Amino acid sequence: MHIFVLSNRKSMNVDNVKSQMRKGMLEYCILLLVRKEPSYASDIIQKLKEAKLIVVEGTLYPLLTRLKNDDLLEYEWVESTQGPPRKYYKLTPKGEVFLGELELSWKELNETVNHIATN
Amino acid sequence: MKKTLTVNLGGTVFHIDEDAYHLLDKYLSNLKIHFRKEEGADEIVKDMELRISELFTEKVNAGFQVISIDYVEEVINRMGKPEELSDDEVKEEDKTGQQGQGSYTGSKETAQAHRRFYRNSDDKILGGVASGLAAYMGWDPTLVRLLIFVLAFFGVGVVIPIYIVCWIVVPEAYTAAEKLAMRGEKVTVENIGKTVTEGFEKVSNGVNDYVNSGKPRTTLQKLGDAFVQVVGVCLKIVLVLLAIVLCPVLFVLLIVLFALIVAAIGVVFGGGAAFIHWFPLMDWGMASLSPGSGILVCITGIALVGIPLAGAVYSIFCHLLDWKPMSRNVKLMLIILWVISLIASAILFPTITLPYWIHHGSIDVVGC
Repeated sequence: MHIFVLSNRKSMNVDNVKSQMRKGMLEYCILLLVRKEPSYASDIIQKLKEAKLIVVEGTLYPLLTRLKNDDLLEYEWVESTQGPPRKYYKLTPKGEVFLGELELSWKELNETVNHIATN
Repeated sequence: MKKTLTVNLGGTVFHIDEDAYHLLDKYLSNLKIHFRKEEGADEIVKDMELRISELFTEKVNAGFQVISIDYVEEVINRMGKPEELSDDEVKEEDKTGQQGQGSYTGSKETAQAHRRFYRNSDDKILGGVASGLAAYMGWDPTLVRLLIFVLAFFGVGVVIPIYIVCWIVVPEAYTAAEKLAMRGEKVTVENIGKTVTEGFEKVSNGVNDYVNSGKPRTTLQKLGDAFVQVVGVCLKIVLVLLAIVLCPVLFVLLIVLFALIVAAIGVVFGGGAAFIHWFPLMDWGMASLSPGSGILVCITGIALVGIPLAGAVYSIFCHLLDWKPMSRNVKLMLIILWVISLIASAILFPTITLPYWIHHGSIDVVGC
């Protein structure tokens, strides 16, 4: 019965599932990038685009603001030689803990998927 | 040659073409609308402004002094249109569903939304009735206009009063929400935003219809468009001439109305005798009738002359002084009242004046 319902869904296509998967990872990846070094939005965009995690740049800004409002990220203004000052984001202590949990669950997921795939 | 503006975007000054500025302005306000429910919406939009400013700086450093509309479009595509930025699951599914089976989802949505008949203020030859009807039915406005014209030309005269009644009764689509309802699209803030941007694109491209804006026009359709334009100009000239001719008529009608009101008062208070007292030199042959039907004639006469007159005066004041237009129900009621009084006077007037004409011998009553 459940399978029937699933196959009956109109929007069940590869692209949709892929975008759902990417979306789930997006916040995790942003936090990982920011932990490596404090970075500003355009750096993050560059890296996420290379990894094909985002298509349009505008997706990132609401996410950054949300993470900041949840006290997982904080930013400081840094003077730039090429224009106006930039916001450099870095992890808060709360963000560190949060990212630790995410890493753990990512490892678990990874193992589970590998386990299912190999057996 | 193009006019440019100077803008401060995220703390940097840019020279930007006027059309490019309007597009960017619309884009940024659409973003604000899109994120309005989000906590820190201002911050998000400000950050995006900063990013756009950065992209512009790259362009300027590459040697382009002025930001053109093409580049603004490129930047918008890069940043993403508001509808591409939603990240909640439902909308994403909606989007992929629409991409997969495009027109199906589209038409379903259209069917769900509440369609209303408005006059189209953006695309009108006379009153926008035809293009409003076209938007309502999802037809080509030119086709509807040709149809009306052909019908009126080949003797189906009813079309003309129907058109005029529609012009008077059907409201014009002023707001974005009304324009969406006219085309049967859902009234959401995103859609309103799109209408605003589309409206701008419409102006800049000179495209004059919504329904077929995506498709190129065939030669036959272009021919139809041209024909409709020519007929429209002719009709406008006729209307203006008619208005000039009608000015004295309006004045005469005013006098008639005044006379009728005086007559009504006279009949009510004096029972007809007062007139003979006031105007002893007049021939009162026709007044030799029952005061009851006299009152009726006066009332129908006042309605017959007064309603269109009051309507015309009211609509003139509406335009001059920004008065609130009459509600649709009031208009309908007045039109029905006018038609009733027209019929009533058509019946009453001959029966009342007949004795008068017979009396003076202007009519030979054969077989009476």
